[in-house]
Amino acid sequence: MKLAIKLAFKNLIGAGLRTWLNVIVLSFSFVIIIAARGILVGWDRQAKNDMTDWEIGGGQYWNVHYDPYDAFTLNDAHSPVPEKFISEIEANDMVPVLITQGTIYPEGRMQSILIKGIKPDQTLLELPTHKLDTLVGATPAIIGSNMARTNKLKTGDYVTIRWRDTNGTFDATDICITGIFTTNVPTVDVAQVWIPLDSLQSMLLMPGEATILTYRDREKAREGTADWKVMSFEDLVKDIEAMIKTKSVGQSIFYTILLLLALLAVFDTQVLSIFRRQREIGTYVALGYTRGEVVSLFTVEGAMHAIFAAVAGAIYGIPLLMLLAKKGITLGMSSSDYGFAIADTMYPVYSTGLVIGTTLAVLLATAIVSYWPSRKIAKMNPTEALRGKLQ
Amino acid sequence: MEDSQIIKIENLIKRFPMGKGEFTALNGIGLTFIQGEFTGIVGPSGSGKTTLLNIIGSLDVPSSGSVTVLGRSVGDLGAKEAAKLRKENLGFIFQSYNLFAVHTVYENVEFPLLLLKYSSADRRRMVLDALEWVGLTDKIKSKPPQLSGGECQRVAIARAMVKKPSLVLADEPTANLDADNSHNILKTMEKLNRELKTSFLFATHDDKVISYLRRKIFLIDGRVDKDIVISN
Repeated sequence: MKLAIKLAFKNLIGAGLRTWLNVIVLSFSFVIIIAARGILVGWDRQAKNDMTDWEIGGGQYWNVHYDPYDAFTLNDAHSPVPEKFISEIEANDMVPVLITQGTIYPEGRMQSILIKGIKPDQTLLELPTHKLDTLVGATPAIIGSNMARTNKLKTGDYVTIRWRDTNGTFDATDICITGIFTTNVPTVDVAQVWIPLDSLQSMLLMPGEATILTYRDREKAREGTADWKVMSFEDLVKDIEAMIKTKSVGQSIFYTILLLLALLAVFDTQVLSIFRRQREIGTYVALGYTRGEVVSLFTVEGAMHAIFAAVAGAIYGIPLLMLLAKKGITLGMSSSDYGFAIADTMYPVYSTGLVIGTTLAVLLATAIVSYWPSRKIAKMNPTEALRGKLQ
Repeated sequence: MEDSQIIKIENLIKRFPMGKGEFTALNGIGLTFIQGEFTGIVGPSGSGKTTLLNIIGSLDVPSSGSVTVLGRSVGDLGAKEAAKLRKENLGFIFQSYNLFAVHTVYENVEFPLLLLKYSSADRRRMVLDALEWVGLTDKIKSKPPQLSGGECQRVAIARAMVKKPSLVLADEPTANLDADNSHNILKTMEKLNRELKTSFLFATHDDKVISYLRRKIFLIDGRVDKDIVISN
């Protein structure tokens, strides 16, 4: 095998431009696959980090009636915060949030929103709730930048909101925008208004009640109660994982096509080699190689394209991928356009497993497409091959 | 088998498929060769001389009859055993040299020794010896495309001789060379034959080669027509 590797190396270098064209195309596959998969890994990590920071903490308790995909459940999705959680809430390790449907009337228009009540002194989530702890001429409220943009609201603006209390009675009041925050998590931004928990509880006539309880400690064992079910961190990121998996499948199709094109070039070269180098094949046999050993030699030669490509890819790919990881990739769309947590600029993450796994996969695929045409050598007549006669 | 007998051919027949029928390339050949011969199989194109050389070189097998080379029956050898026979005991010289174009002269000559797993020091010594025999020590770093036809054939001789095989099979070794180069090549081979006692078996129809042979076997239409031994 050592001799086959040495010969294959010599033959590939000797083949000149043909080798380098294949190597360059194959190296593109390496770099693009690693870059694309790195973006997905980075996205997954960033999305989970942002969701942890802004929305789900280490996990949540949901009122048993709460369904985030069905706004009608909000009428019933509230109950008193259990006594056993009070100490955690006071220690800022748990944040109760009360949610109701409502309507906002910016500049005379009407838009359905979710009104969320949260404690202004909480520090568990990144939301700048301290801006709710202020005295203004109306209920203080904070909104996300997407909500501000779509409703043309800015800090200091007064706007009317309307809701129905626990008895079903419509009521309305003005809120004052005391803060606008920017986040990558659209589920705390789009069509949402955050006001102090006490205010919302009294507006809804639901003192001491909440819809969800977000806790900090992900590791602590949790049990549900009659009114509250536990939603672990893993449960809460299931949607984003499913979305990334879907994207991953789509992306796999793209880079499979790219890889196939590169492998086709290697396959083509192998076929051409076997036709053009019949005399050489015959000479190997005459000098003492078995035909099987010549097949191995040609397979190693083809597979070595992938090794060269890995080296070439590393030469320009490592600086390029490091630059991408540092500068990130800026998307032209806002996170809210996607409907799930995605940063305006994504930072790819390249793990050792990703790089080694991709390299081995490409190497294996190249070895297979190299072996395929090389099998023909095993059927060659060495005397005809020595004369260079096409078989 | 006598000690000095290296090839024994008995009633060798070789047929090739041709269209719906068969073409008989060799028909009832019977020959023996002893160690140290400088012999040529002489005949016009299509007389079967290359086919005979290929069978002796275990690159092909007889249709019937037997061919025993260095005590091994070529027709009964498996692929690995045939490869081992070629690797260890036979040297080949071809009309079109068949050198590896991307390898240097040194690497071309070294190749058979790599297959035989000689140590690096032994390989170097043996390659330099072989290149000295053919007068190419100044070209060790050159590649075949940089050499003349005569030089290429001398590299091929060095490659065939480097492992000091019992038998060298040379198929039309001067066909692509001019007269001067042909004589140089033949003198080199003759010298190696005398000094190393290596047997040389040529397939040729070149008068220049024929003039050097000590035994001439004339083949016509796959049969031995004449077998002439020239006494020194």
